[in-house]
Amino acid sequence: MGKKRDYRRTILVVDDEEVNRRILGMIAEPEYEVIYAENGVTAMQQIRAHASMLSLILLDLMMPEMDGFEVLESLRNDPVLSGIPVIVLTSDHSAEIKSLELGAADFLEKPYDLPEVILARISHSIALSENSRIIQATENDALTDLYTREFFFEYGHQYDHHHSDLAMDAIVLNFNRFHLVNELYGRAFGDRVLKKIGGGIREIIEEAGGIACRYDADTFYIYLSHQQDYEGLLKRIQQGLSELLQAPEVRLRMGIYPDTYRSVTLEQRFERALQACNSLRAQFGAAFAIYDMEMHEREVYSARLLEDFEEALKNKQFRVLYQPKYDIRGSKPRLCSAEALITWQHPEFGRVRPDAFIPLFEENGLIQKLDRYVWKEATLQIKNWKESFGVTVPISVNVSRVDIYDPDMAEYIMELVEENDIAVQEYLLEITESAYTDNSRQIVQVVKELRAAGFQVEMDDFGSGYSSLNMLTALPLDALKLDMAFIHNISVDNKEMRMVELVLEIAEFLGVPVIAEGVETVDQYELLKNAGCDIIQGYYFSRPIPPEEFGRLIRQETEGQERIR
Amino acid sequence: MTTLEKLKEFGADTEEGLARCMNNEEFYLKMVDMGIRDERFEALKEALEKNDLEGAFDMTHALKGALGNLALTPLYRHVSEMTELLRAKEDADYMTLYQEMIDYRTRLLEMADS
Repeated sequence: MGKKRDYRRTILVVDDEEVNRRILGMIAEPEYEVIYAENGVTAMQQIRAHASMLSLILLDLMMPEMDGFEVLESLRNDPVLSGIPVIVLTSDHSAEIKSLELGAADFLEKPYDLPEVILARISHSIALSENSRIIQATENDALTDLYTREFFFEYGHQYDHHHSDLAMDAIVLNFNRFHLVNELYGRAFGDRVLKKIGGGIREIIEEAGGIACRYDADTFYIYLSHQQDYEGLLKRIQQGLSELLQAPEVRLRMGIYPDTYRSVTLEQRFERALQACNSLRAQFGAAFAIYDMEMHEREVYSARLLEDFEEALKNKQFRVLYQPKYDIRGSKPRLCSAEALITWQHPEFGRVRPDAFIPLFEENGLIQKLDRYVWKEATLQIKNWKESFGVTVPISVNVSRVDIYDPDMAEYIMELVEENDIAVQEYLLEITESAYTDNSRQIVQVVKELRAAGFQVEMDDFGSGYSSLNMLTALPLDALKLDMAFIHNISVDNKEMRMVELVLEIAEFLGVPVIAEGVETVDQYELLKNAGCDIIQGYYFSRPIPPEEFGRLIRQETEGQERIR
Repeated sequence: MTTLEKLKEFGADTEEGLARCMNNEEFYLKMVDMGIRDERFEALKEALEKNDLEGAFDMTHALKGALGNLALTPLYRHVSEMTELLRAKEDADYMTLYQEMIDYRTRLLEMADS
């Protein structure tokens, strides 16, 4: 793929003498697109305007306004512009050392050499600079022999300015939960699958024109000449895997940003393709999605939410609500604890749904700040209720994936609990099941530490992930929280209900209680109670409510009682 | 416009100048015309009259670059000498040197306008 391509690069000629500019133009124009500037100031404007497509600058040193040295210095201090090679035009040998120190690639002396010499030196400097940029990136991925991601973007940019007339699609292909293939069949088999996918992609780019890379473990980026039949593309890659995997096991997702007019940068186009790809998270089997206006709006909305996060935290737009959990094992449901849930009252958008901002903050790590905020509020709340009502209401808080990777997490929670004079047993931690399957070793370690310190850990969204029975027995946990999706559809003897019963049996085997959340109707409640479910959370009892309102529930509950639990 | 013969008579290395212009005669002659009508010749006089040697250096330096590329050898050599004197801020009779330079230029202008 390192072949020389027939494209015209752009160069900038900077000289205050029109005669000099025009002679250089005369020499260079048969081979290059040439743009001009008559002093340093206009040169910098031209450079900034054409930065991404400028291959070389021919720069005179002595000029009015801003001289060549100042231009060199500005370029050197700019991370983007410093990569553009500069040939200095000078008649003074004395200026050469200084130019070299400021990063010039070469010199042309005045009066100029013969045109052939000038052209050779221009092309030499461009080739040197392009090669060095490319060599910096390791070219190929060892497993699939596609490009590595660094090289892919470098080459993609070059592809763009040399094929600016071609319509190209940015495509992201991902194998959803690929780690399961590795877990089930072993890593060597997983590698064979990735190789096959890589082979399929290579066939396609060789046929249609384009470049591709393995972006990370199980994600491929494909920059492909504009296509009509995306389903066909996906099918081709899928069929390539048919000898290795059963069709339902091929969880290929393809996100496409078709671009016929290059409206945004290469990186942004792949960001959008990735977004389209991620929109398929919940799909089974193979699927593709094309980036559309709705996604664009969501992107803009998401960007606003991210931007407004700090401000919102500062201005207390985030509020913690509490949803009660009732123990239904006795004759009468008993308030036993609460889950702390976050809401966002945005000054412009009004109430922002947690499912709009939580995944977003999870993606870029802001969730850690938000989680800590909730943890802190929750500890203060436990303390507050203790003081107001003389009882302890244990509160469960959510622990995100990023928190688990933070080595200070356990210490932070310990300090919170100690500061507020709360018993660790009153503080429950909910960790989503899929976090366990993502990196079980790390999480088992963290959860063990937390439990050793006395905390109780609940596995959240149980049933949505892919825990194996084997994994479950090795996991340290204190409760299973059923995924809401099951509860939603339960009825007598249906598949979902049998699933719930199965989970109850597993819980019994593990010796931990089962919490059902999202319980809305009396029918659901009865079914769960009869099946032996321990704790219920959901609209059937109460929606998430502000602490004041929750206080009333505590008062009702404690009439004639000393403690909630 | 002037011709290659006239420029040769003047002492220009027209072969070199032409080669630099990809042997495009019309373009070369046009550039020569542009070069000899450079306003810096006038600006140089002003600078010298004010005894602004630095400003004068900037002018001769710029002229030198263009005249060299045009291969107008006698004028180029003269301007180069002036440039070196000005660079070193030598105490020289710059007005006389300037007049000699203008004489070369006038010859070229006359050739162009005849």
